[in-house]
Amino acid sequence: MYRFLFFIASLFLTPAAWAQPVTFGASVQLTGPVANTGRYYKDAYEFAVEKINAAGGIKIGSVHQKIALKILDNQSDVNLSVRQYVQLLAQDKVNFLLGPFASNFVLADSSIAEKSRVPMVQGGGASDQIYSRGYQYIFGTLPAASNYFGSTIEAMTKLNPRPQTVALLYADDSFDVSVAKGTRELLNKAGLKTVIDERYSTNASDFSVLLSRIKSENADAVLVAGHETEILNFIRQAKSLDVSPKLYSFTVGVPSADFRHALGKDANGASGMTAWLPSATLKDQWFGDAEKFARAWKTKFAYEPDYHAASGVATVEALVNAIQAAGSTDPQKVRDALTKVSFDSLYGRVAFDDKGQISLPQIMVQIQNDDVVPIYAGKDFINKLQYPLAPWSKR
Amino acid sequence: MELLFQVLVSGLLLGGLYALMALGLALVWGVLNIVNLSHGALIMLGAYVTYFLVTGAYIDPFAALPIAAAVLFAIGYLIQRGVLNLVIRGPMFNTLLITFGIEVVLTYLTQLWFSADFRTINPGYAGSNYTVGGITIPYVQVLVFVIAIGLTVAMWLLLLHTRTGRGIRAAAQNLVAARLYGVSPKSVYALTFGLGAALAGVAGGLYGTVSQINPYIGGPLTAKSFVIAIIGGLDNPLWVIVGGLFLGIIESLTALYIGSTYRDVASFGILVLILIVRPSGLLGRTT
Repeated sequence: MYRFLFFIASLFLTPAAWAQPVTFGASVQLTGPVANTGRYYKDAYEFAVEKINAAGGIKIGSVHQKIALKILDNQSDVNLSVRQYVQLLAQDKVNFLLGPFASNFVLADSSIAEKSRVPMVQGGGASDQIYSRGYQYIFGTLPAASNYFGSTIEAMTKLNPRPQTVALLYADDSFDVSVAKGTRELLNKAGLKTVIDERYSTNASDFSVLLSRIKSENADAVLVAGHETEILNFIRQAKSLDVSPKLYSFTVGVPSADFRHALGKDANGASGMTAWLPSATLKDQWFGDAEKFARAWKTKFAYEPDYHAASGVATVEALVNAIQAAGSTDPQKVRDALTKVSFDSLYGRVAFDDKGQISLPQIMVQIQNDDVVPIYAGKDFINKLQYPLAPWSKR
Repeated sequence: MELLFQVLVSGLLLGGLYALMALGLALVWGVLNIVNLSHGALIMLGAYVTYFLVTGAYIDPFAALPIAAAVLFAIGYLIQRGVLNLVIRGPMFNTLLITFGIEVVLTYLTQLWFSADFRTINPGYAGSNYTVGGITIPYVQVLVFVIAIGLTVAMWLLLLHTRTGRGIRAAAQNLVAARLYGVSPKSVYALTFGLGAALAGVAGGLYGTVSQINPYIGGPLTAKSFVIAIIGGLDNPLWVIVGGLFLGIIESLTALYIGSTYRDVASFGILVLILIVRPSGLLGRTT
């Protein structure tokens, strides 16, 4: 009884400073097969919220409100993540949603946001499918999957000697299928001949057959859209089967320190792409700039950030900017404000097109002497591409 | 033609590793009548033990294999003695559930301790190869293959010609009679499970030298081992080799002629076919 009276009294006595924080909720892969990349998002959300709160939080009208964060572990299970987003909205009453990692998760989870009319800003899914359904409440900070190989193919057409034949391999999930679809068109437009165009099962561990075909078809360039585990196996088996195309490029892995570490010297020569490099020219309201951000991240979490990390931070900043612009935490008003946000961040310029997706160029990168080197970002080569790659015996 | 031979060679070498992975599972299944769903997790642990011996103590991966085997033997022995022996007389469903539970616990503990980082066992000579008549033969895979075959044959000899082996087979064939002749089921079971785990440990170390390691590699490896055990049967370790090689080649040919996405369709399709056509196993007994 006393407790109840105390509770009633506390309702009336709550000072303004105790105003409820604005809560962001997300379901992220903290365990399970995708945990390795999922951690970027958890760390990014926490780091961004910590920084923004330290700077006073969100300014809504004249009131500063803190951000609270609710992160659940979906164990790399899509069905669980859908249930958790329902729980976040229904039970935990979070105000806004941040995304999980990976397109297949975003595809499923964004339906919850859409149905509940609560905006979800996500930095983990790039598949064009996410934005082709006419959804109004999904916003994404990863550039379109269909253009992941855009800069690479453009660079290929400017190489001397120009690669004549291309092999395109892709895993059978939503993101990689989108990449392949876009890449196929780009290759046709560039007039490059595709000699192998093959889909493989996600989590495949043996690539000896595909590699043997690459060797037998004599593909000059190999483009692989897949997952880090597959690409690790692909490169290791390429070495042991002595398959060395003149150029090979991968959608994931190359920008991640963990990936390079696992392969050691064998990672050298692998190309890839990233929408983000930790450059001091990318200024940020809360972190100073991208270079400072990368350094602070490394000190705090003891591993290097890659574009997943920056993309995750950008989603939090986009929400904060939209809430401030809307001057309210009303989901509808914030959703409308999100369509108009446009600000510079450590990730680059954040603004969403009419489908809700960001537009950023992909920078082609290559691992040279154990380091990620930017190669081509449209127009001109930034650094020299190691091309054609030497046979394995001479590396 | 060159392509076909290259694919056959790769499939054969892959099959050797498959066989070794399945060997421990088939042994435990045949003797204890437990389908050990944590088998893949034990392979994963073996890979980690080898990895840390290689990167921490700078031991050559192949020299580290006996240590990995010993560590996994101890783990397996303890799991059987401490957990599985308590339910060994229960229905098969219970042991399935318990080994599934052990799988989950081992996987998540591994992530907790070692993180989800990708790792590879990558000595300087990994990836070196020899080309003959246009066909590339990777040395490490050949070594893996030889070890796999060698261990299988050793296992066969152990079961056939040693007192311990006869005890194990006796316990599998007729427990009552075996007990009358002085076989202690508890220790035979623990020994068998330990041996199964030790084989998984070696398989894990070898897997790490040709593939990549993370806490979640176990599940698919258990499934693959299961298929091979069904193909090869549980009677004789030598049939397990045949089962492994058969699967390796079928998978490779499927990937070559039908498409890479159909690999698993082929291997699990074979499983279904065998269960329909010859439920007792293609090459030997499975129950």
